[in-house]
Amino acid sequence: MSNRVRRDKEDGRKGWAMVFVVVSLFCIIFFAARGRFQAPVSSQAVSLVLSPFQQATDWVANEIRYVTSVVWEVSTLYEQNKMLRNEVEQLRGINLQANEALAENERLRTMIGYQHSARQFDLVAARVIGRESETWSSMIVIDRGTLNGIQNDMPVVTPQGLVGRVVEAGPNSSKVQLILDPRSSVGTIVQRAESRVTGIVQGDMDNPTMPQMVNIPKNADVVEGDVIVTSGFGGIYPKGIIVGLVSSLKNDDGGLLKIGVLESAVDFQKLEDVMVITASREAPPEPIKPPVQTPGTETDPVTGERIADQKAEGQK
Amino acid sequence: MSNFGKLAALVVALYVLQTSFFPLIAYHGISPNFMLLLTTSFAFLQGMEKGTLMGFATGLLTDLATGTFFGVHAFTYMLLGNLCGRFANRVYKEQFFLPVFASLGITALNYFILALLMVLLGYRFNPISNVQVMLLPMLIYQLAFAYPVHFLTYQLDKKLSTKETN
Repeated sequence: MSNRVRRDKEDGRKGWAMVFVVVSLFCIIFFAARGRFQAPVSSQAVSLVLSPFQQATDWVANEIRYVTSVVWEVSTLYEQNKMLRNEVEQLRGINLQANEALAENERLRTMIGYQHSARQFDLVAARVIGRESETWSSMIVIDRGTLNGIQNDMPVVTPQGLVGRVVEAGPNSSKVQLILDPRSSVGTIVQRAESRVTGIVQGDMDNPTMPQMVNIPKNADVVEGDVIVTSGFGGIYPKGIIVGLVSSLKNDDGGLLKIGVLESAVDFQKLEDVMVITASREAPPEPIKPPVQTPGTETDPVTGERIADQKAEGQK
Repeated sequence: MSNFGKLAALVVALYVLQTSFFPLIAYHGISPNFMLLLTTSFAFLQGMEKGTLMGFATGLLTDLATGTFFGVHAFTYMLLGNLCGRFANRVYKEQFFLPVFASLGITALNYFILALLMVLLGYRFNPISNVQVMLLPMLIYQLAFAYPVHFLTYQLDKKLSTKETN
């Protein structure tokens, strides 16, 4: 009899403990989502323990990927070669046009006295060692951390475009929130000179592979195929990094705004190596160098007269 | 190695495989969820109490390691571990059919609880397209990997119980 009472009491206690934990977790979820609760120490400790195993497994996965891709490439070599030949022909033509445009651009820049302000980034290369399996949020883990100079809120890019930002930098690994994550928001602008419409790019839960550009006025000049780049507003992402192309446009539920569905510039399904921008700054203007001149026909860069003629006059 | 050590090693190994290796075969970013499969199998084999604890541990690990919405997985996996554990006394351990197919129902239930939490957190989405994009591929993956994970858990459970009886 007493045993039964004791067991009932124990069961009751366990039931209350369970209720307490469930309610606590429920509260934690909402506090954490509002940014009022964080577990940085335990989170970093878990990352510290897991990252060596993740790095080792990722290495094995990369080797397997490499072998399968080599096998695939060998089997499709002939077709690929044919396609590449065609592409080379096309690119040669485009290259000629691009050189013309470059020369024209230089001339126009000089005419309007425009100073070229190329942005310079300090980059740290990193490898993706972990990724979430569910898509309510989109996070990756990279193998670089505070020991490599990585800090929170640093932008992460690939040569193709923007990947996301570091949200939690541990000692030897960091968590990166992709631009596909619904919690992420990136200030962007349409690259086309006639448009320059600004908007915010957010992750979309309905289509986890295609982010959305929201807050576009209904009459704004945004069309399918427009290139979207970071606007530099907000202070996290430097200006001019490609985010993606406008794939389609749809009306917002409110009816006053429209939403651009983007095809991201980065292929997030094949994300292996990324770069973290640890510092970005304006580059100093390059010193002006006189162009290389053919021997015997050199001219004075100031007066524009032929140097050979000047010498002959001096001798006289 | 102690029983706890063996279990911890299994959890870490499955988690590392899930996050580092299986994204290779991910479809639209979705790959099998071993933590949920492990929780389901463990709860069916070990009962409500241990199933709840396992759910809490695997969920917390997922939340801490990937930086998702903090607490959501600890919450859902714990509830689901508790739920599966309630059926532990009614299922023969050698019988694989129910745990393997129950993992489909558990995955769907996990999805709907998470979807409800997302709505409560203020995120809006189209339920029909979301089910098509997220839940269906996930169910296929879970069905494919439920048996191997349950087999592993069963073997470990058998070893642990022989050690305990000795």
